[in-house]
Amino acid sequence: MYEAMTASVTASMPVSESAYGFTQTDIEGQALFSLPFGDIVNFLTPYTAVLFVFALTFTIIALISKPERQVDTVMGGDAYYTKDISRETLRFQRFMAIACGLATMGGIMAGDVFNFTLFTAFIGITNIGIVAAVKNKHILDNAFEYGLLAMIGTLPLFVGAALVLATTGTLSMWILFTPEVAVPLFAKLLLVIGVIAEGMAPVFVAKAEITRAPGAPYILMVHVSSLLIFLRVIEIVISM
Amino acid sequence: MMILLYIIFAVIVGLLFHGIHRKVIARIQTRPGPPIWQEFLHVMKFSFKQTWIPKTASKVLFVAIVPAVIAIWAGALYVLFTGGSLLVIFGVYLLHKITEHGLGLSSGSPYGKLGAIRSVLSAASEIPLIASIAGIYFVTGSLMISDIVAYQADHGILLITALPIALAMYVIILSKVPYSPFGIIEAKEIVSGNKTEHFGAFRAGLEVGFALKTFVLLAVFVTLFIGAMPFWMLLIASLILLLTMSFICALTPMLSPYDAVTIQIGVIIIVIIYMAFIAFAGGMP
Repeated sequence: MYEAMTASVTASMPVSESAYGFTQTDIEGQALFSLPFGDIVNFLTPYTAVLFVFALTFTIIALISKPERQVDTVMGGDAYYTKDISRETLRFQRFMAIACGLATMGGIMAGDVFNFTLFTAFIGITNIGIVAAVKNKHILDNAFEYGLLAMIGTLPLFVGAALVLATTGTLSMWILFTPEVAVPLFAKLLLVIGVIAEGMAPVFVAKAEITRAPGAPYILMVHVSSLLIFLRVIEIVISM
Repeated sequence: MMILLYIIFAVIVGLLFHGIHRKVIARIQTRPGPPIWQEFLHVMKFSFKQTWIPKTASKVLFVAIVPAVIAIWAGALYVLFTGGSLLVIFGVYLLHKITEHGLGLSSGSPYGKLGAIRSVLSAASEIPLIASIAGIYFVTGSLMISDIVAYQADHGILLITALPIALAMYVIILSKVPYSPFGIIEAKEIVSGNKTEHFGAFRAGLEVGFALKTFVLLAVFVTLFIGAMPFWMLLIASLILLLTMSFICALTPMLSPYDAVTIQIGVIIIVIIYMAFIAFAGGMP
């Protein structure tokens, strides 16, 4: 059924815009690279290539960088102290930051709405891991709240993807981005709400208790991943 | 090679714009102010001053964030001059938020950290504000800068026909010019905020990146809302745009973080109402 619907969608398009002829849009310009797996075509445009390189750069920084030692003043005096990270915490945060970077790159390259939502959910999980690694009551409370929000966000995220499939018969962005396919505004809205809840930016990150947590290269990955995936979903909903 | 020359030119013009901005603010406040080439001298001075990395810093991140700032705005300049996608400029703006945050967190300094927290707070309103460029897509049917320029040649300038979107972009650029009322991340009560610990050659690199940013944002506004023009006229239009901002910066105190966010959210509401109007009216008003 799915293949039949996809075939009918692609058959209705002119040859130059058929499933593997997607080279130029008025939103992102010329596609640079594509990797087809059946009707799922992973691809990079100049826009997603910039995002991909940025995600890769910060993942490498998280891999090779040691954390900073946050300086804090002692209230009511002149003294100050620095926060150090134990070796175990560092290893776990670094692992989560790299996993987060890989999930972000996957989300950026995804050519399929379901894959995109799946990588976004991975980002939510790894972000919670980065924050929850720090043994501090405020930060752990924060990680717990993030966890709740990410779980709630998963529902609109995947329902959005399901609605796209139900109404168009395909999840392939290669096909969805063509003018012949109309995606309901409500499905797009659900995807954006899901990413905002899952990726934590730009709304929930304002409760930045996480900045109490030392480990700048890893904490920064929370922001890198959430902003990059927000940028990707904006591109997806405008293009669909 | 040509793009490298453009980048160097944009840096010099951006630094001069910063100098003129300071001079105008000073004259409005009846101060003599520094010479207009002061920011250029600053960069030269910082380039040769003693530079080191704080003991508490995350060294790789502390250093890497400086070339990252320059690289993303050089990329934005390339996209602007080649008539590429506006979405990339939008992306670069958001990546700049990440570099602002990394800049503050990387040193371990409490002042830098406060600047970083404020950059996250301001992101909550700046990001939806810049997402209003989606409104340009609804109006023009394209996000390619070359198409938007062509649209204005046929239908009139967007500064008049899409004024609320222009207002949103104006507030965004105003938020990013030095001494802005929205410049909460580098307010003086937190020393220099997220830039506090980056001195010497690192500060010189940052000033180069910020000069590029000012040049690109002003040129993007002029190109998007007024249209194509000769290069010398683009520079003059950018300067006039900057001067309007200098007046606002000179006459408005630094807002508190929550006031800054509230005003930006007010502008977002205007843009949302305008876009809803376009959607229901089925086209341009």
